[in-house]
Amino acid sequence: MNADPAVPGHDDSTKTLMTTETTDRSEISATLRDNAEVAAALGRRYEAGFVTDIETDSLPPGLSEDIIRQLSALKHEPEWMTEWRLQAYRHWLTMPEPHWAKLNIGAIDFQAISYYASPRNRPKSLDEVDPKLLETYDKLGVPLHERAKLAGVAVDAVFDSVSVGTTFRKELAEAGVIFCSMSEAIREYPELVRQYLGSVVPIGDNYFAALNSAVFSDGSFVFIPKGVRCPMELSTYFRINAGHTGQFERTLIIAEEGAYVSYLEGCTAPMRDENQLHAAVVELVALEKAQIKYSTVQNWYPGDEEGRGGIYNFVTKRGDCRGDDSKISWTQVETGSAITWKYPSCVLRGDRSVGEFYSVALTHHRQQADTGTKMIHLGKGTKSKIVSKGISAGRSSNSYRGLVKVEKSASGARNYTQCDSLLIGKKCGAHTFPYMEVKNPSAIVEHEATTSKISDDQLFYCRSRGIGEEDAVSMIVDGFCKQVFRELPMEFAVEAKKLLEVSLEGAVG
Amino acid sequence: MSEPQRTPFVESLQDAAARVQLAGSGIGWLDAARRENLEAFVAAGLPDTRTEAWKYTALRALGQRRFALGDAQAAARAVDAAAFALPGVDGPVLAFVNGVFRADLSRLNALPAGLDLQPLSQALRGDAEPLRFALSRHYREGGDAFARLNAALAGDGVVLRVAAGAKVLGPVQLVFVGAPAEGDLAWHLRHVIELGEGAELSLVEQHVASGAQQHLGTQVADIVLRKGARLDHVTLQQAAAGGTLVRRDSLHLGEDAQARLHVLELGGALVRHDLHATLAGDRARLATGGVFVLRGRQHMDTQMAIRHQALDTASESVWRGVADERSRGVYRGAIVVAPGADGSDASLSSKNLLLSGQAEIDTKPELEIYADEVKAAHGATVGQLDERSLFYLRSRGIPLGEARAMLTAAFCRAVFASVSHGGLREALDQRLMAHLPSA
Repeated sequence: MNADPAVPGHDDSTKTLMTTETTDRSEISATLRDNAEVAAALGRRYEAGFVTDIETDSLPPGLSEDIIRQLSALKHEPEWMTEWRLQAYRHWLTMPEPHWAKLNIGAIDFQAISYYASPRNRPKSLDEVDPKLLETYDKLGVPLHERAKLAGVAVDAVFDSVSVGTTFRKELAEAGVIFCSMSEAIREYPELVRQYLGSVVPIGDNYFAALNSAVFSDGSFVFIPKGVRCPMELSTYFRINAGHTGQFERTLIIAEEGAYVSYLEGCTAPMRDENQLHAAVVELVALEKAQIKYSTVQNWYPGDEEGRGGIYNFVTKRGDCRGDDSKISWTQVETGSAITWKYPSCVLRGDRSVGEFYSVALTHHRQQADTGTKMIHLGKGTKSKIVSKGISAGRSSNSYRGLVKVEKSASGARNYTQCDSLLIGKKCGAHTFPYMEVKNPSAIVEHEATTSKISDDQLFYCRSRGIGEEDAVSMIVDGFCKQVFRELPMEFAVEAKKLLEVSLEGAVG
Repeated sequence: MSEPQRTPFVESLQDAAARVQLAGSGIGWLDAARRENLEAFVAAGLPDTRTEAWKYTALRALGQRRFALGDAQAAARAVDAAAFALPGVDGPVLAFVNGVFRADLSRLNALPAGLDLQPLSQALRGDAEPLRFALSRHYREGGDAFARLNAALAGDGVVLRVAAGAKVLGPVQLVFVGAPAEGDLAWHLRHVIELGEGAELSLVEQHVASGAQQHLGTQVADIVLRKGARLDHVTLQQAAAGGTLVRRDSLHLGEDAQARLHVLELGGALVRHDLHATLAGDRARLATGGVFVLRGRQHMDTQMAIRHQALDTASESVWRGVADERSRGVYRGAIVVAPGADGSDASLSSKNLLLSGQAEIDTKPELEIYADEVKAAHGATVGQLDERSLFYLRSRGIPLGEARAMLTAAFCRAVFASVSHGGLREALDQRLMAHLPSA
């Protein structure tokens, strides 16, 4: 990308902070045009596939201690944060890349990635937000600006690593809720961040979490104080825009005693012909009687029919039910990304705490997904429920990988797991790898899984009622996923349903 | 992976291999296969728990032990034949003590027509060529240490062939006895079993102990069913309480072939059973059923993988596990439906009882599906005896221990309902009941 092969870390920071050349953008547009032609020719619609022309400040590609220091300096971070990042980086260097997942991944060149990019003109308020950016959200249907208020959703939009607009801050502040970008939280609420950051996913937890800890760009920070029920759904839209810019979000949500929050995360990325790396970490902390509901609709660019391009999505999501009677619920609809490696988990530490995982994962063409959950039962009377629906089409591969672990201390623990897979087409794969480890004799753990294709009878019935084949498949898939969709907040459920329809186009017939 | 150390285990067996004269040595291809497998075993050593297939079974303690290879006095060891007698079951018997064939305990006269049954050591003295394919295998997977060891050091075993169309139903009994010796022994047996087109065989495999010892036994069996062949295979494992037993059965089913396997695992300190089945021919059918009942510090690890790779194949698996005291039961049941294997119908159930706070159950049913005209389902549970059923039995005056044994037996027994040989079914029930503590 950068014509100047600057050696990272050997110049001073002002020199290495460079602007992406305009010539690069024209290259990108050319690639995009080709892509658009290919997509049009193959009849595939990818509604979010466009690139916004915005000048970007980036660090040069590459990863070293100096780059991390520069990144930290750019974000005006305190010394302890820089040290934390460096510690994570040093640990990351000692770790091997994991290969246990059922994924076929090309080698990732971590030195070819630029670890920081931010929109150039930082706006002071929403009105100053680059109109092109707002236009982008417009196309995506993000309810920002006026529409945000109508939709009743507070949006903390992450655009190329830095939050550019946050709405509803005042209303939330009145309730005592802190909802801001992670960079801001590090500056404004260092004590809270220091107390909780890395307490659920330690810096050395796994390869990608360590990488994220070292170079995380931004993300959301949510703090719900004791006894407060967050007055609105919180939402973030993530978007990857600049080429070669991996995004490394870091999200931290803390719900104090008796607090409640529902957080929505949705993402979509423009079409691009290069693999883009995304390694996020999400940490949830639920104290006594607190409840956190975390919903995701993920629709990143999955690559084209031949599997070129697309996002590599390596995510570590973990919730810690620290207090008694707390509850963490994960709901995810995964339709995008070329590669998904994601296991939202719950550590059920508090007595009678509850963990839930509802997932729909759809793969098409050459997408690969290895996703599932972990439920670690430590407290007495803890309960967990897992409902996973996998849909594979084209030449894709879709795996559920889950762990239910009941430790000796977890008397009366209860788990119920249901994993169903639907196959559409002859060349796809659907796999189920559930691990059950039980050490307490009063625990009950149950797992059920089925794999089948869409039943000919159901299809025939719909067709005989005059419903076209694609519509019929989409109805049946919708029914298959219903158990998960009804866990989503309503506006998300509608979006999720639409996403499945778009993603399944061309899968039958 | 870190560089494997040459553990005392590897050292003792490697040294022994250099001194021992195995049956069949001098046959060029066999010598080469043994040498190469030994080299692979020594180079890789025993797998650690980072190897997925050994995730729940740590071999560190075994790696620190030393074993003598083979038993020179095997022929003289006193063995009580009552230990493996199955009332109501007759037919040919092939018996081994500490891995050595014992003609005096075997019954090989008047074999039924179409049955060829002999110890491997004897078969190798004749024309060894038909065994070449099976015995010159290489094991390349990271977790294949014991298969390599077996391929390097097995000097005896069972060669069993049923001619096309022949029916051998008065079950053939294979008996493996562990007897106390001067030290801890390692013995390795290699079996080659083949059923010709349309052949039928009923087979019983028993592992028994004649006195306390801590031997290591490994066995590798290749079982091939040609078109339309039928196999009924029952395994009764009651190895010595201190023993280590590692078995690997590879099953290959041709067109229209049918196999039914039943396993009852009661004995041993550390027992590992790998069962790999390939449904290679159209309409092949496989039923597996297994029970393990563990006590003390027993560790039992069953790794089953069934591969459907032809049209309209079916498999059904029913496994039950009971872990009490400080024992640990591990079960993996993988079903793979290969691309193009349309019409596959696979089901698997793994239910387990965890009866003690010090015991552990790790179960992992897996589905790997690459075809779409498929029905595949699995279920797994871990739980305990139903309190209300226990209460009901106690209210009828049945003491707690007995009530627990009754419910546990009922939980396991369902697996053996499909054993067709009446006498065998009874024997399995009886061994199971005798094993459950009733006080």
